[in-house]
Amino acid sequence: MKLLTHNLLSSHVRGVGPRSFPLRLQATEVRINRVEFNPDFTARMIPKVEWAALLEAADTLHLVEVPKGPIEGYEHDEKFLTQMHHVLLEVDVLEGTLQCPESGRLFPISRGIPNMLLSDEATET
Amino acid sequence: MSDVQEATKQLLDVNLHENWRAIQVTESGPRSESEHLQVTIGATVPTGFEQTAADEVREKLGSSCKISKDRGKIYFDISVESLAQVHCLRSVDNLFVVVKEFKDYQFKETKEEVLKDFEELAGKLPWSDPLKVWKINTSFKKKKTKRKKINQNSGREKIDNGQGDKTDEKEDKKGFTNNTLDSHILDYYENPAIKEEISTLVGDDLASSKDEKDEKEETHPKVLKFRVTCNRAGEKHCFSSNEAARDFGGAVQDYFKWKADMTNFDVEVLLNIHDNEIVVGIALTEESLHRRNITHFGPTTLRSTLAYGMLSLCFLFHSTHPWSYSSAQLEPIHTMTALWLCAPQPTDIIVDPMCGTGAIPIEGATEWSNCYHIAGDNNPLAVNRAANNISSLLTKSQIKEGKVSWSLPIDAVQWDICNLPLRTGSVDIIVTDMPFGKRMGSKKRNWNLYPACLREISRVCKPGTGRAALLTQDKKCFTKALSGMGHVWRKVHTVWVNIGGLHAAVYLLKRTPQAFVHPSEQDGERTPW
Repeated sequence: MKLLTHNLLSSHVRGVGPRSFPLRLQATEVRINRVEFNPDFTARMIPKVEWAALLEAADTLHLVEVPKGPIEGYEHDEKFLTQMHHVLLEVDVLEGTLQCPESGRLFPISRGIPNMLLSDEATET
Repeated sequence: MSDVQEATKQLLDVNLHENWRAIQVTESGPRSESEHLQVTIGATVPTGFEQTAADEVREKLGSSCKISKDRGKIYFDISVESLAQVHCLRSVDNLFVVVKEFKDYQFKETKEEVLKDFEELAGKLPWSDPLKVWKINTSFKKKKTKRKKINQNSGREKIDNGQGDKTDEKEDKKGFTNNTLDSHILDYYENPAIKEEISTLVGDDLASSKDEKDEKEETHPKVLKFRVTCNRAGEKHCFSSNEAARDFGGAVQDYFKWKADMTNFDVEVLLNIHDNEIVVGIALTEESLHRRNITHFGPTTLRSTLAYGMLSLCFLFHSTHPWSYSSAQLEPIHTMTALWLCAPQPTDIIVDPMCGTGAIPIEGATEWSNCYHIAGDNNPLAVNRAANNISSLLTKSQIKEGKVSWSLPIDAVQWDICNLPLRTGSVDIIVTDMPFGKRMGSKKRNWNLYPACLREISRVCKPGTGRAALLTQDKKCFTKALSGMGHVWRKVHTVWVNIGGLHAAVYLLKRTPQAFVHPSEQDGERTPW
């Protein structure tokens, strides 16, 4: 699970309100990949990023060189964009958990895939 | 096949390849001519997506297309040097080179006369250029044939060990070519897990070359094997496709002195008859390109070409299109042409919330790698297969630099479509293949699923700019579900497609500017997410 995905996920546990985002991340296995750098794509992502959530996740994973927020003229700042590209796309949580901050409900991440199903019932095939 | 046999065949393969090149070098004239050859290529595409395919051809090859009345086919001209790029098209299923086209063929009255005409036709057609193209095309594919045969024989177990096999293949390939373009084409034929019937492999009796000289200097110095495939559509024909194939094929055999073989053929001659339009062609693909991305199939895996078509639709209808509440349904062809001219911008977050084996997000990540794709499904088997397919994709494009592993802008999540764990208004595009209610789910279940699904995706989709391309065969249920959602979804386009005999539709929806209001919000306050 990449951090960009984490940034889009919110809790859907019934009854939770606005404090259901972000999901608290715990990781036991992380892999760093290389993803082709696309400065345009990264620049367009910046306005969509929920920064507090991103910083919290990055902090949990002990990532360094994470920008604290968008800087002036970020669209053309290669260093900034490269760092953001790395944080959003190149850090992959393979094993861990996501926790709903309000209900405390835990969702496992296994082989890079978060299981966000609420019920434990067998799913239809 | 034993290791020794395999090695021998590989060696012979190399030698024959050398011989081929040697032959071409000595013919100084014809060789340079063939490089500047202009040919007409025909391509079969999913019905309904002819325009999408034509757009892709224009964009990638610079050629304009003729869309045939015979649905599901397009034609375009290229120079032979672009042949490799033709194989990179993502919206086409099968390719062939046109030998001759008859726009208005005059059929005689009786069956005997018609079939006699077909026999005489064989010797009068301009075969030499198309055959040159066929030969060049075959040289792309030859290297893959043995590998595929091995994979097929050893069965499916090998497929699930995907990683191991592919590394081996990569090592072997290095011996043949360092040309990245070649290996890109070879990837199409690398797919071991083709479930549907495939025509066959290029004949592997290259090893036992007969060295029989032909009067026609452009043919290969051994007896070629061929077959004729006839597709016939039309009410007024007094003959069957089998009869046409048989008699035409007989004449072709007499003319070229080729050997007829229904299963192990080198050359597949196509005789396509649609009312008064006849196209004679030579096939350039053995199996359809449409299974290219998927190594791990599911029960209803979507064709990659169809996934490509659906994704293309979304980009065509980008927000640069002026928002309007007009309910007039524009002529599809005109709409698409007009919007294509608006030079659509790529958008960012693309989600398939019922991804199955991940055909759509994987096509998306390959072709639109400047966007972010998320594949989600409630079924753990499906999500795992999707993840495996993503890994297989990575193995193909992986560049080994020490221990660095590459990744693509795509992720997989297990979730419930009716209750998506996504922030409100965070997604730009939803593309999905909805359960038809035939092999997956049921029509009854759709009655509840479709409205819930439409509601939830209207929540996560960005108001004003967001859009969705939804494929379904259960058109009745979909239309009813959509009718109650006019405040959030606007249907802007419909493409009719044929999925394995079922008449399905791709509905393109635009998300209205109205913000999503949670049903529990009585006082009009919006949830922040």
